[in-house]
Amino acid sequence: MMLLTCPWCGPRNETEFHYGGQAHVAYPERPADLTDEEWAEFLFFRDNTRGPFAERWAHSVGCRRWFNAVRDTRTYEVLAVYRPGDPRPALGDAVPAPTPAP
Amino acid sequence: MSTTPLPEHPAWLWRNPDPKPSYDAVVVGGGGHGLATAYYLARNHGLTNIAVLEKGWLAGGNMARNTTIIRSNYLLDQSAAMYEFALRLWEDLPAELDYDFLFSQRGVLNLAHTLQDVRESTRRVNANRLNGVDAEWLDADEVAKVCPILNTSPDIRYPVLGATFQPRAGIAKHDHVAWAFARACDAMGVDIIQHCEVTGFVRDGDRVVGVETTRGRIGAGVVGLTAAGHSSVLAEAAGFRLPIQSHPLQALVSELYEPVHPTVVMSNHVHVYASQAHKGELVMGAGVDSYNGYGQRGSFHVIEHQMAAAVELFPIFARAHLLRTWGGIVDVSPDASPIIGPTPVDGLFVNCGWGTGGFKATPSAGWTMAHTMATGEPHPLNRPFGLERFTTGALVDEHGAAAVAH
Amino acid sequence: MAETSTLRRSPLSHLHDRMIAASVTGDRAVSVTETPFLAQVSLRVEPGTAAAARLGTVLGGALPDGVGRTMTAGTLGVAWLGPDELLVVAQADPQSLTAALSEALGSDRGAVVDVSANRTVLELSGPGARSVLEKGCPVDLHPRAFGPGVAVTTTLGPVPLLLWQTAPATYRLLPRTSFADYVARWLVDAMTELGSPEVP
Ligand SMILES: Cc1cc2nc3c(=O)[nH]c(=O)nc-3n(C[C@H](O)[C@H](O)[C@H](O)COP(=O)(O)OP(=O)(O)OC[C@H]3O[C@@H](n4cnc5c(N)ncnc54)[C@H](O)[C@@H]3O)c2cc1C
Ligand SMILES: [Zn+2]
Repeated sequence: MMLLTCPWCGPRNETEFHYGGQAHVAYPERPADLTDEEWAEFLFFRDNTRGPFAERWAHSVGCRRWFNAVRDTRTYEVLAVYRPGDPRPALGDAVPAPTPAP
Repeated sequence: MSTTPLPEHPAWLWRNPDPKPSYDAVVVGGGGHGLATAYYLARNHGLTNIAVLEKGWLAGGNMARNTTIIRSNYLLDQSAAMYEFALRLWEDLPAELDYDFLFSQRGVLNLAHTLQDVRESTRRVNANRLNGVDAEWLDADEVAKVCPILNTSPDIRYPVLGATFQPRAGIAKHDHVAWAFARACDAMGVDIIQHCEVTGFVRDGDRVVGVETTRGRIGAGVVGLTAAGHSSVLAEAAGFRLPIQSHPLQALVSELYEPVHPTVVMSNHVHVYASQAHKGELVMGAGVDSYNGYGQRGSFHVIEHQMAAAVELFPIFARAHLLRTWGGIVDVSPDASPIIGPTPVDGLFVNCGWGTGGFKATPSAGWTMAHTMATGEPHPLNRPFGLERFTTGALVDEHGAAAVAH
Repeated sequence: MAETSTLRRSPLSHLHDRMIAASVTGDRAVSVTETPFLAQVSLRVEPGTAAAARLGTVLGGALPDGVGRTMTAGTLGVAWLGPDELLVVAQADPQSLTAALSEALGSDRGAVVDVSANRTVLELSGPGARSVLEKGCPVDLHPRAFGPGVAVTTTLGPVPLLLWQTAPATYRLLPRTSFADYVARWLVDAMTELGSPEVP
């Protein structure tokens, strides 16, 4: 069981989250202009990194927000969590987790 | 501490040779698919100056971690052809390899719990028959006859409305399958080299001419990647991308029990599948962990779900004890079908994307991959499974269609 | 329009007797009841804005501004569900409460929606309440991490719900209506053990 730190809710069990795959994959500006190869690349090809990987998670039973995490896919250690729209942080530069009100 | 050497193991099935400077063909990954590829390269194409390079130990990946279900009742024509060809090979392999790896054609039930399941299942039975795959539709009473311990009472959360049955499907002892192929390969002169990790590719222009390994550079006429969960890592080293995501897939076994479970039962809807291995342990599995992972382990709540589902279907399991859980790294493709064929690098071929269900295809994957490597052209069976289908759009979409894809 | 309120039935009306019968007395006493038909209003509003302040004025206090936080004013409570999402739970007429909040939001960005039928409210109380919940809730309910006035959305068994501690030994559980039957039965089952002497 992984403990993931939602940027809004703090550390919660993995069972409260939904996985969203690789982060920072932008929808093409003008899909109609893409070649078949480029469209296939967007649709089907994602990084499959062995090591620190920037990926999306949704806190689906909590605050229902998407956020990003850098997680090592070998050890499953979460190295950083950050809000969507924020750039991928340098490793170790994690957004400090909010502590729930007592 | 005693310094006397241990007695030599009496029954080494293959040599442990040092790598030669070069081979006509190098197969990367010593799982079932790599061994079967080497076997058919030698048997069907007369190539014996070949090596299988394995970074760990033989069959230490998914090959000896899977739940050993063998069946060919896939929906689509391309898949049915591939898996049925494998099943025919399985039927001959114990004799051909002269190795009793406990291939047991005890049948597989794929349960239907909803009207939609019933419609899809009967459609699949019809499609299977048109493709020469043995398939029957059984109602709940007939299901109970095949598997008496299954809860077929109508007043449970997801009552069993019926099932498809493939009598020729079954299980085999996976590690013995690997050893059988390894022994046969070795006897034909194939070098099986363990603890030899491929770390890079040697190229001459667009063509691959060898591999870099933890045991030095090894030259190669052609190279085949059969690295399952690590396919993307190798592709990246070779300079191209694969549409593959690697996920943890877990399974579990109970302690050993008297024979109670005569067949294999799979349920997409309650989401578990279960059989009983020859020694007596109940073997169960379900779906992948949601996240990407190379850790050969997953999360325990996934195991809890499998067990809850199993107890729902088999009330008698409530008193069974969990003995062991483990995980492998499965290579999942966008359409839940494999990728076998050439890559953007000349002389480099790939066999991957079998995800949660490639054990059953071990012989046909090896056969078609060997054909592709030896001739440079796909075999008719793997022609629909090339990498280019993600660009052309000619997907072989077995998602959902194949029931739980193991 | 015909008077329909007499026809209204709560999602747990068929289980009220079972819930009463499940009450446990003694050291580890615990009981569960349903408080049906409370007004519930979903608020979506950007925190820290003038609109948020106006909504707070209508509700009788500043809106809670972070995970776990709640605000109470009389029989009305507000729980934080997400960075721009709150749930008002009140003994009130949902229509007039919704109307008052809509007016306060005005044309500013946000939403005020009457969701009274979305969830029902269970109240679990007694010294044994925490151990009942701890059988199936992944959140740390120990007093060092949780306490009266804290509410979080989480799960109980497989069911997502809002869990709101209102007093030292009292929790409100707000599952969605369609899951209420399951949650009530789950609680009744989990409470049973507390009626027997504690196994040390
Ligand atoms: C829990 C579980 C249950 C399953 N159940 C079933 C089932 O019931 N039925 C079914 O049909 N399928 C099942 N599968 C899927 C099946 O096991 C796989 O599809 C199949 O084993 C993949 O082929 P393989 O045997 O060659 O893979 P592997 O045995 O994983 O072989 C790949 C090998 O490549 C090696 N390797 C990786 N990188 C390198 C490198 N750089 N250099 C050298 N070597 C390298 C690895 O160490 C590994 O030994 C299951 C899988 C799992 C994990
Ligand atoms: Zn959250």
